[in-house]
Amino acid sequence: MYKLTGVTRLYQKGRRTVAAVQDLDLSIEDGEWLAVQGRTGHGKSTLLNLLGGLDRPTDGTVGLDGTDLGALRETQLTRLRAEKIGFIFQTFNLIPTMSAAENVEAALIPLGVSAADRRAKIAAALDAVGLADRAAHLPSEMSGGQQQRTAIARALVKQPTVVLADEPTGNLDQDTRDEIIALLERLWHERGLTLVLVTHDTAIARRAQRVAVMSNGRLTIHQATGSATASGIGPSAPSPSG
Amino acid sequence: MFFVTYLRRELRRRMRQAIFIALGLALGIGLVVTVAAASAGVKKAQSGVLSALYGVGTDVTVTGAAPGPPKPGSKSNNDQNNYGLQAGPNGQTEICTSNGKCINAAGKTIDQLTASYAGIGQSRVAEAARLPGVTAAAGGITLTDNTTTFGHSSSSLPQSSSFTLDGVDTGKTSLGPLSGASLTSGHSFTAADADTGVAVVDSGYAKSENLKAGSVLTIGGVKFTVIGIVRQSQASSPPDVYVPLARAQAMSLYAGSLKGEVTTIYVAAASAADIPAVSKEISGLLPGSTVTTEASLASEVTGSVTSAAKLANDLGKWLAVLVLIAAFAVASLLTMAAVARRVAEFGTLKAIGWRTRRIVAQVLGESVAMGIAGAAVGVGLGFAGAAIISSVAPKLSATVPGSSGAFSLAAGQAVGPGQGGGVPRRPGTTASHVVAVPLHPSVTVGVIVLAVILAVAGGLLAGSFGSWRIARLRPADALSQVA
Repeated sequence: MYKLTGVTRLYQKGRRTVAAVQDLDLSIEDGEWLAVQGRTGHGKSTLLNLLGGLDRPTDGTVGLDGTDLGALRETQLTRLRAEKIGFIFQTFNLIPTMSAAENVEAALIPLGVSAADRRAKIAAALDAVGLADRAAHLPSEMSGGQQQRTAIARALVKQPTVVLADEPTGNLDQDTRDEIIALLERLWHERGLTLVLVTHDTAIARRAQRVAVMSNGRLTIHQATGSATASGIGPSAPSPSG
Repeated sequence: MFFVTYLRRELRRRMRQAIFIALGLALGIGLVVTVAAASAGVKKAQSGVLSALYGVGTDVTVTGAAPGPPKPGSKSNNDQNNYGLQAGPNGQTEICTSNGKCINAAGKTIDQLTASYAGIGQSRVAEAARLPGVTAAAGGITLTDNTTTFGHSSSSLPQSSSFTLDGVDTGKTSLGPLSGASLTSGHSFTAADADTGVAVVDSGYAKSENLKAGSVLTIGGVKFTVIGIVRQSQASSPPDVYVPLARAQAMSLYAGSLKGEVTTIYVAAASAADIPAVSKEISGLLPGSTVTTEASLASEVTGSVTSAAKLANDLGKWLAVLVLIAAFAVASLLTMAAVARRVAEFGTLKAIGWRTRRIVAQVLGESVAMGIAGAAVGVGLGFAGAAIISSVAPKLSATVPGSSGAFSLAAGQAVGPGQGGGVPRRPGTTASHVVAVPLHPSVTVGVIVLAVILAVAGGLLAGSFGSWRIARLRPADALSQVA
């Protein structure tokens, strides 16, 4: 699915040049669950942005199913994200004036789905995350966990092949965190998604098939021993070198 | 529909800001509508004054030169209707005819007709009608009838009165002084009245002289039957009496008669664009005559209506423009600020696959919706402003120029016998006068359409600044702001 070769992303901070990602090589198989850990400011979110086509590498190539994302035009990247990539954010990033159903619908708008089909898909997505009875509620009328479930429904309603989750449990309490991770794991397993999840939480990271650690923009792969691998769910773990 | 729902919810979320922007636009548009309505009202008032001056449908008016005194020995000196005044041997006032016979003026009344302008050959009317760009031409005569009554005692002052008289082409009443008149009783001239002893009287004169349809009027010793009463705008200083042109030409005047002549030619042009060329052609055809158009007459009309026109066109227009610019600027700034607050939202939409143009359309839609709301309120404010102007604005006035060409009778000038036993007549002078002009500001459909266009343009302008920011937005940067 993903093949990153010699990827570097540099930022200019005044007169200094900061390397958010340095000379990174990484392969991610179809249906794999990769957790990315690391301290704040060491390049985790930058890696996720590069995988999602939200950013372009300064050097190297980010290949997705054989296509170099860096070579695509902005409209092509936007189309790719609309069709194939689902995002889940730490702060949920729901539209505050729209209900849960309407926030999920926002992901279908770029695809030109008919109104009847949209209604069916939205209902199915909310049902899958256990929010069928909250369809008409605004984000301000839902708990943090419910908001994140709505965001998960939005990410999955278009049947993506990749889900990129940036600290999805960062703003949640312990119990809710476990609920959300369990939900994500179930959906990953049921739908054969490729899931890349950024987290600070080692316990969560260990549930993935592989763990990558970002440190000063460089990536190191560690073998995971979490339930995803132990139960044989998903593809077998690749070698530590990626 | 998602677009409309999103738009509606977002405007509701920032209702106060949306109302502020809409009200700002409304104020600018209200001012534009009010100024446009006031301008339209003043223009209409000015047009009313000007079109009344020489009638509806007349585009060019040609008048002869100022009439001169009769030449000694000319036919006019032998005319029995010409008189002069002189001081008698005992200091009494004497009336003298052209044959030199003089009588004491005491107790006598003299009645004298004078032309306001020198004559123009009637054949010139047909020549003017054949000029390129001319659709019709009609001739007319403008006269003044002055009556002076001397007291029996030499110490009593003479009493004078006068009325104005127009000879009209009864076959072409759509041109000239009767064209703007409305009939209040009786009937007006027909082509068959071309050489009959009938007259139409102005309503004001009829009231003062107690005249009605069927009354008999004596002018220059000739009887006329009143067939109709008409009402005209007083701005035109309308004549008191209208008679058929041929009868006016036959009248005996102080300076002779105008047989075969007219004093004024009224010309209708094919279009407004033809007027300057037609004026030039007529000036070439009739050198020495005075050619006036509405445009040239407009420059002579003064008074508060002219000041109001300047105020509306200059100060009013620029004030409205400045307020609109300020409203657009405030709307743009507030929209940009709103977009800045929604950077994370727009970054998320880009991340989930929304194209930039879809997000821009959303922002523009919100701005245009505020603009349309501003237009609706602004038009209402404009109507209110026009109504306020209508009710509280001071009455306007116009000073219209008078006719010229009269002259004073010199002492000792030879005269002929006159009406009522031989009484000398003095030519009259029509001075400029002030007329009240009603001001009715009017909001036209065109102004309403302009208001909506301005409002939409304002909304688009405000939205375009925000849209520019969205277009430059990189999703990664936008999302990092949330983190």
